[in-house]
Amino acid sequence: MSYYFTIFSPTDTPLFTHEFGTSRSGGDGLPHFTTSERQLAPFILHSALDIVEEVQWGPSTSSGSAPMYLKHIDKYANNYVSCWITGANVRFLLLTRPRDEALGLTSGGAAGGSRGSLAGGRAGLSGGSSAGLYNPTNAATEEAVKNFFVDVWDAWLKTVMNPFYRAGNGDVVKSPVFRQRVVTAAKKFL
Amino acid sequence: MTPQDATPKPPSYPADLENSMILPRQRASSPTASLASLPYRRSNASLHQLFKSTASISGSRPSSGTATPTASVVPGSVFSPASRQNGTGTPGSLPPGVSDEQRNLIQRAFAPHVVVLADTETEQLIRGKGFEGGLLQLLRPFGESVPGKVTIRDSVGASKSYDDFGIRFVGVNEALGLPPASGRPSDLRIDTANGQRDGGRESSTSIRPRRTGGDVAQIEELVDRHLQYTEFNTQGGGMAPDYLNLGELVPQESSASPFYSLYLQRLLSGLPLVPHETFAHPVAGVIAISSRNADPIEELRRLYRRQHDGDLRFPQWVDNDFLRYYVLVHDEETGDIAKSNATFEAMKRHFGLHCHLLRIKSHQCIPSDDDSVRLPTCEWMSASEELAEIQKREIADDITDPTPYIPDSDITAIKTFVREIVTQSIVPNMERAVAQWNEQVLARRRGISGRFMSLSKRWTPFGSSRSSSSSSTLSSNSNYDSLQGFYRPDAPEALMRKLADYCFMLRDWKLALSTFDILRQDFQNDKAWRHYAGAAEMAALSALLQTAPMSSKTRTENIDAWIEAASYSYTDRQRSAAPYYALRTLALGLELLRLRGSSAADDAARWAARIIETGLVGAIGTALFTERTAACYAVRTGVGAFKLGARRRKAALWAILAAENWWRLDKALQAEKCLEMALRLYGQHTEGSEGKAVKLPFPQMQAYIDELRQQILGLRLTNRGLHEQGEVEEGEQSLLVEEATETLDTSPRAHRKSIIGAAAPPMDLGPLSPRLERSSEIEKADDHFEGA
Repeated sequence: MSYYFTIFSPTDTPLFTHEFGTSRSGGDGLPHFTTSERQLAPFILHSALDIVEEVQWGPSTSSGSAPMYLKHIDKYANNYVSCWITGANVRFLLLTRPRDEALGLTSGGAAGGSRGSLAGGRAGLSGGSSAGLYNPTNAATEEAVKNFFVDVWDAWLKTVMNPFYRAGNGDVVKSPVFRQRVVTAAKKFL
Repeated sequence: MTPQDATPKPPSYPADLENSMILPRQRASSPTASLASLPYRRSNASLHQLFKSTASISGSRPSSGTATPTASVVPGSVFSPASRQNGTGTPGSLPPGVSDEQRNLIQRAFAPHVVVLADTETEQLIRGKGFEGGLLQLLRPFGESVPGKVTIRDSVGASKSYDDFGIRFVGVNEALGLPPASGRPSDLRIDTANGQRDGGRESSTSIRPRRTGGDVAQIEELVDRHLQYTEFNTQGGGMAPDYLNLGELVPQESSASPFYSLYLQRLLSGLPLVPHETFAHPVAGVIAISSRNADPIEELRRLYRRQHDGDLRFPQWVDNDFLRYYVLVHDEETGDIAKSNATFEAMKRHFGLHCHLLRIKSHQCIPSDDDSVRLPTCEWMSASEELAEIQKREIADDITDPTPYIPDSDITAIKTFVREIVTQSIVPNMERAVAQWNEQVLARRRGISGRFMSLSKRWTPFGSSRSSSSSSTLSSNSNYDSLQGFYRPDAPEALMRKLADYCFMLRDWKLALSTFDILRQDFQNDKAWRHYAGAAEMAALSALLQTAPMSSKTRTENIDAWIEAASYSYTDRQRSAAPYYALRTLALGLELLRLRGSSAADDAARWAARIIETGLVGAIGTALFTERTAACYAVRTGVGAFKLGARRRKAALWAILAAENWWRLDKALQAEKCLEMALRLYGQHTEGSEGKAVKLPFPQMQAYIDELRQQILGLRLTNRGLHEQGEVEEGEQSLLVEEATETLDTSPRAHRKSIIGAAAPPMDLGPLSPRLERSSEIEKADDHFEGA
């Protein structure tokens, strides 16, 4: 399971990008994108912004206020995109590339359930016949991604409150503290 | 990169010409091998014409390369009547902005099939005119668009006229799944002779061109051929044609590439004869005899008997009592018209009104004859046929094209015949059949008793008595023969399917939709999965073909479900999958959804992505459909100042993917076109200098695109370097100096021109030869006919 996390400014400029792998179930925390996948990931995330806007301005799914966590919103081939949107219209996009086993692409698909990370593998518990297959709308997956986003959001707020940093102008976030917090959150939840 | 990049061949044409001549037919399996011979092909005028005409027909929009004064981009075109491509096949000349072409294409694709059966004398007569294919070859191009408007009355009695109505003439052998009577001149066979027909049956495994389509691999190969041809022949022209298009900076993103249109058209050409749909089942049969025949009436009877229950009988799931149309072919030169008239009168007495006297000249016509006209190219030939044609012309070394010429009077006679058979026999007959079945079968099924019947079928205990009292006398509850997988042609389900198909062909979408919907449920109950898939597919298509607006709710609830069910049942549910039909379902569904715009375009893009994901298509198809996905997303422009709901970024992503796909396939022109589209969508105005261009948000994206652009540029230069060394140097210089401008200005426009050409009137090249002049006159005549 590999992740590609990007924060987009309201003007579609990427402010922060982090690539990582799962740390759950014996994962080494390193991304396992192939070269072409890594090349395509920015394109996929960028194109997902179309859907983000659609969901953002579309009819609300939850009663009352619009949710910040938009959950799984887009998919390209084997890449799933989840989104969190902050009050300042900054978009957190997380691209998930499940392992081939978790997608049922290889023969070892059934075994994926026990070894997968919280966000993917255990999704199969309630999946019935498709046990072990990655399911982005699964409750456990959504919860894990949400927790990750909440932690990142927390760190993000503290970063943008820094008077010396003007995120609204599209300044790229260089703070090592922020990166460290994202890494921690990723390690903790994904 | 292809291996031969490093060794560009010197442009010594005459020497190498022979080399390429002796090459055996090139299969797409070795594209690099056939690339070597490609640059020299353009010396073959007839081959060029074949490519040119098909490409422009399929684009449904004349290529401006020939319609504008820069027609001589390709040197060989002097020999081919250049203005010929202008009007052929464009049903009604569409304004370039309206992308209704796919819808028209789909409408025209499902046309009534007419079986042609001729006696030996007729075949000999026609062969004497230089038509190896006999009567069928002579009639076929003219059936594809009936001259003048055809008025059709739908089930509620409203009349509507169409000027793009057509029929398909098919041979008896293709209809039976046998190889056609004539593919090449070498293996002539008289298809009415008994002994020789068996020989044909044996050789059905050979690679003879089949008029039946449905072979995705061959379609891909064909499109690949066209792509290669364009790749190597349109680039040499340089900048000249671009001047005309300079004013047009933004081409329509929604217009399909001609290759995609070609792909779709070949996908729909030559629908196979199958039990689960009746589009390819004959609606009528032409039985032709010659006036030379000694005993014409008896010969007609004999042919009818052979077709009805003799050796030419259709499979048992085809209704055999279709309309028979009797034609007496009169030889204008040797025949006696008084005798023919007498025979014709006798025919009318015996067979009623469905008769025609076709007067044809029997001598062979040559291009230099006074009123000779080139036989129009078949627009709806199957992929394998066109491939065979291309191969034939590649191998042939003569500069004249082998297409036969016929006298003008013959054309008039045939056009009259086609119009008469369509407007006086086929259409009224179909209307009558629709009305009759609607009353007798559909109304009963729809009525209260029909509901009971279908209910009782599900609960067997009290169903048996009722269903036996109904029209079918089968002992089982279901009329479906699950062992052989078909309904008998007289079963109510088969009749209803036929009714729905007739409605579809007569463009009565409403009745077709309701009938397909009922059928869908019936087939599902019977577990006739392929029939079920067919009904679901056609239900979705007929719902989408209706012009009435559709709420997004019905769309998502019904049509998506139908398309989904059809594609699933065609592929997964069956032991013997039918990927061709699944592809057809998805491709047509996506085209029609795309035309609906806004949120339907999302669905369209989803189906396109489904085609790619499920691997229904090969490499060429993947690239084409990737490009199409981008076009689907590009249709959504969004609302308001902020363009909310637009899919600009999605479209750009898919365009990039398409560019990469094309690059992998060594198709530089297409790749460049896609890349340019992507950059435009990303908001990069590459028209400006490099420094001013807006950078893409991600540096990685920018790097990726730059690299891709470099690679495509390199590919284009090497492709061109194969036959024009001088330009390579020139190109390399510009590569060093200002690569962005070069990328944009030379080749993409050279290509863009070919897809966006407006429908210009047939221009005057100045009569270079009498033949050229003549053919442009014919062109005008054609236009007049179609437009009338």
